[in-house]
Amino acid sequence: MLAGRRIVASLNLTLDRGSVLGLLGVNGAGKTTTLRMIAGLLAPSSGQVLIGGVELSEQPSGARRLGYLPELPPLYAELRVGEYLDFCARLHGLRGTLVTQAVTRVIERCGLGDVRRRLLGNLSKGFQQRAGIAQALVHAPDLIVLDEPASGLDPLQAVQIRALVRELGKEHAVILSTHLLPDVQACCDRVVILHEGRARYDGPRQALGDDLEALFLRIVSTPDEPVAA
Amino acid sequence: MSLVIARNELRRLFVQPLAWALLAAVLGVLAYFFLLTLQGFLVLMPKIAGIPTAPGVTDLVALPLLRAIASVLLLVVPLLGMRAFAGDRQSGALPLLLASGLSDARIVVGKYLGLVAFLIVLILLALAMPLSLQVGTALDLTRLATAALGLILFVATLAALALCASSYAQQPVVAAGLALVLNLLLWMLDAGARYEGVSSDFVNYLALPTHLEPFLHGIVASVDIVYFVLLATVALALATRRLGAARVRG
Repeated sequence: MLAGRRIVASLNLTLDRGSVLGLLGVNGAGKTTTLRMIAGLLAPSSGQVLIGGVELSEQPSGARRLGYLPELPPLYAELRVGEYLDFCARLHGLRGTLVTQAVTRVIERCGLGDVRRRLLGNLSKGFQQRAGIAQALVHAPDLIVLDEPASGLDPLQAVQIRALVRELGKEHAVILSTHLLPDVQACCDRVVILHEGRARYDGPRQALGDDLEALFLRIVSTPDEPVAA
Repeated sequence: MSLVIARNELRRLFVQPLAWALLAAVLGVLAYFFLLTLQGFLVLMPKIAGIPTAPGVTDLVALPLLRAIASVLLLVVPLLGMRAFAGDRQSGALPLLLASGLSDARIVVGKYLGLVAFLIVLILLALAMPLSLQVGTALDLTRLATAALGLILFVATLAALALCASSYAQQPVVAAGLALVLNLLLWMLDAGARYEGVSSDFVNYLALPTHLEPFLHGIVASVDIVYFVLLATVALALATRRLGAARVRG
């Protein structure tokens, strides 16, 4: 409930390591609200979020196994890429040589090597998005939550980000929200279609084949018709 | 963990032109003021040299400078603290801290310590001016030390107020305005009451100068320390509450 309005209701999601879940929906479907609740930015009025079986609010600080990229990457424009990632690693409890190792690894993984000494504020949108993803990865979390990671990028950048997400899905559990069908087709194992705050479809992407678009349009245009997984 | 945030806040302040510009401007104004009071003292000195209880250089140069530092910081701290939360909220960087798993109190304390560290650097640089007189004359170092302690408690309170304003405001400018109004209100509260003919212990107690002046006169009283600590704690608690409320309200 936000400002007395129910945004998301009866949503039940479980996710294993090594899979990518795509949260698909039109604007205002409740995707961002759902992800903000998972990331702990919003407290759900009822229900709970468990990571590794432990309630989010009970996880000790610093040991939190979650990385979150909001819609707008949370960057400090005045810092250099390396400095920023160093801070993010320390913020999540890494210390000493582990920090340097983690930062070096994530810079390489996200292709930020050439811009590591540049100010975040001066980077192109594509690189800023990568830096945003890098901060979500730097502490090697179990769960990575990405809110529209490829929105606003040019086609080449979008392809690169999708490849990165697919790569991440091999080792981590990834939840990404999007309203772009190609995002889901390119990198998700599982699809949840969210409409008006309710999950209208929840199932493996492969089962849908090329029918994703048709299913999506049917759900959006006929809000009351039940759709089975 | 708060120290990680504090260090980052300090770094962010030092890589931006605003903090450097304010530092330079404040020190420039204070240096001018220092030279003026020093000049005044040099003119006055021969006339009062014969009086055994005459005020010395500490009273006539160093303490007026410390009072000037307090007045200038009243205006400057809101500008330094305005971005703490409001700026991060505006740029979209706040979720980084909110999703880190740190408690809201630790986030607030981290930001607070970073700002206070910067202000202590500023105070120490300003104090170097009166201390340089030690080369040619004897200063009352104990009084200077208590005055410096008072000044640090004073700015630590201003920093907490600025952070509190920043946590409530959506834009940094609004945060700066809000903090400035709060500061001036607390600075002039008792004066206003006195002009109106009200002489109340309570109004006196609320005003900032009531608690700063004893330090400048070399008196360290627990009642003054408690006042500053209490005011800062309330401001920081309110900022923490505001962050928590945002998690519920969205």
